[in-house]
Amino acid sequence: MMELLTSRKTLSVSEKLEILTDAAKYDVACTSSGVERKGDSTMTGNCVKAGICHSFAGDGRCISLLKILMTNECIYDCKYCQNRRSNDVPRATFTPEEICTLTMEFYRRNYIEGLFLSSGIIGNPTLTMELIYRTIYLLRTRYRFNGYIHVKAIPGADAEVIRSTGFLVDRMSVNLELPTADGLRVLAPNKHRKSILTPMRQIQNGIHQSRDEVALYRHAPRFVSGGQSTQMIIGATPENDWQILNVAEGLYRKFELKRVFYSAFVKVNEDKDLPALPGGPPLLREHRLYQADWLLRFYGFEAKELLDESRPFFNVMLDPKEDWAVRHLEYFPVEINRAPYESLLRVPGIGVKSARRIVAARRSTNLTFEDLKKIGVVIKRALFFVTCSGKMMYPTKLEEDYLVRNLTSKEDRIRFGTDGMSYRQMSLFDDGMFSGKMEASDKWQVVTGQI
Amino acid sequence: MRIYRCEDSLEGIFTGIYRAYEDHSDPKETELSLDEDPRLFAEEVQVVPDREKSKKVVRTLCRRFGEADYMGLCHALASRDDGRAQAVYRTVAQGLARNVAVGHLFDNLADDGVLRAFKLSQNVSRESQHLKGFLRFEELKGGVLYAKIHPGNHVLPFVMEHFADRFPQENFLIYDVGRELFGVHRRLGTWNLMQDSTGTLIREVEGVNRSPSEAEISELFRRFCHTITIEARQNPKLQRNMLPLHFREYMTEF
Ligand code: SF4
Repeated sequence: MMELLTSRKTLSVSEKLEILTDAAKYDVACTSSGVERKGDSTMTGNCVKAGICHSFAGDGRCISLLKILMTNECIYDCKYCQNRRSNDVPRATFTPEEICTLTMEFYRRNYIEGLFLSSGIIGNPTLTMELIYRTIYLLRTRYRFNGYIHVKAIPGADAEVIRSTGFLVDRMSVNLELPTADGLRVLAPNKHRKSILTPMRQIQNGIHQSRDEVALYRHAPRFVSGGQSTQMIIGATPENDWQILNVAEGLYRKFELKRVFYSAFVKVNEDKDLPALPGGPPLLREHRLYQADWLLRFYGFEAKELLDESRPFFNVMLDPKEDWAVRHLEYFPVEINRAPYESLLRVPGIGVKSARRIVAARRSTNLTFEDLKKIGVVIKRALFFVTCSGKMMYPTKLEEDYLVRNLTSKEDRIRFGTDGMSYRQMSLFDDGMFSGKMEASDKWQVVTGQI
Repeated sequence: MRIYRCEDSLEGIFTGIYRAYEDHSDPKETELSLDEDPRLFAEEVQVVPDREKSKKVVRTLCRRFGEADYMGLCHALASRDDGRAQAVYRTVAQGLARNVAVGHLFDNLADDGVLRAFKLSQNVSRESQHLKGFLRFEELKGGVLYAKIHPGNHVLPFVMEHFADRFPQENFLIYDVGRELFGVHRRLGTWNLMQDSTGTLIREVEGVNRSPSEAEISELFRRFCHTITIEARQNPKLQRNMLPLHFREYMTEF
């Protein structure tokens, strides 16, 4: 034991950073959005509502925050996690001062927008949460850091510590981990659905209360003003897309979450309870879930419109909005110069921004297809579904087969047939085969909301 | 056709807009130009920048169109596009003529002038947005922070404004390589721009050593960026799309 302690003491900050970054990298959320906070001449930092990406990693994911674990010396044994107790991996724990110094020095050089601090369970949940609290307290008071902070609330920790932490941070999240309680039971034996939902509810109530107080006294302390988020792992347990989307919808409605993140399962451990993923992480599935999530939050869709029990998986070839459109031809064509905003939003190729621009621009003039292009509508998809002053761009057919053929690429149709098979049917195939299709433009469109 | 020859500055262009209104010029027959290229059959007006007149224009624009759309015009004017003054003039003229409500200056995208100004504005605001994230400071001996950027548009003022709010306690310098222009912020003070056409300042700054901890901290960040990547999701193409190569020239981690 002595030996262990001394050997641990000799780890340099650099070695710790490597271990505890590696241990944190499967956490998805790296956004710094949702908070607008002006600078303060006695402090360092401010916050920008839209969030700022500072770099992009080799996997194409945004680097906005210093995303680290406080410790990976975890007493739990979650089967999907590389830090599980039974794994033989290097272990490390940061001191609060080390975390503060790293954050400040990175921030001053504009490497990052703030700190995202998570942690394995050291000792017990309350102790872990207390250590997180102490670190953040130090960072805000002694180091005078005024930038963005996101921390994990540790399920099972004392409510008072979670509360105190909430007043110091911009965002808090509790990981749902897996979409259903069954999944949790199999893969995370130390975690329980109830102990995850309890702090979620507590944070939700805290946010409400704080909003009321701020409305009364402008200087009342703010509690988690950037809102709450969560994440779940996709593809480690057998839930289908329909179940997952319903869980997400429930979280938005009942817990008023700001964001639900989906994380394609990356298999880091060998365990009989984990699925074999010969094709690598289910990236296309994750991508479709994000697209559908966007439709729930900004496009006025409900989960039940996108999937149902008889069609529980997303279409591999069409995005969820196109898929909905070809199955609801009775809604189309939509007349650009008259249709309400909500109907414009349902047209493939028209995103939130272009729908707003259409509504604004058509007040002064009758829009043509030429104008739509200028406004930023993705014409090659929208043209099948809209008219301008009663005319289509060119003669097309409002028929499912015809549309699917025109919206998808030939290679994909040959591979999957024209009926748009689902994941279930193609589980023999390799998800990775699609990774070529979902890169660049699609990803970017998810980011900008132009689905 | 009447051509107003303006100086290439906010003041110059706003004074030009003032003059065009003062003269009751017909917007369809009027052009604001930033160059001196001779034009046949055009009436030439040389515009002398005037602080009072340009202030009046700014006040009018803010009142009629709102702060956000005024900022949109400023962004458009920071563009490197030669037609920026004209696009902004056209946009303002149609906004006043149609008496648009606050926040609706850029609604009429079917109008080519408005569309042009809108595109320029978006382009500039996107570039300054990018640089707010991608710019990297190094710490010089003595604690001054120093960054180099090479933007296409004249985004330095917007970038300075952002960092002045973020780092009130720091002395920092940002150098626009292409324009040979320094932004200088003093600790707990204001910021200003300094033209360095002779290269005196840049030679001086480049001669200063980095602080003793600079090498170690930048190495920590490189390690962080490398470690955070999930190997099973490697996607350099996506990375390149999100962070175009030309930004990387001055980035610590590349
Ligand atoms: S609690 Fe579970 S998921 Fe979190 S670090 Fe420990 S083993 Fe990993």
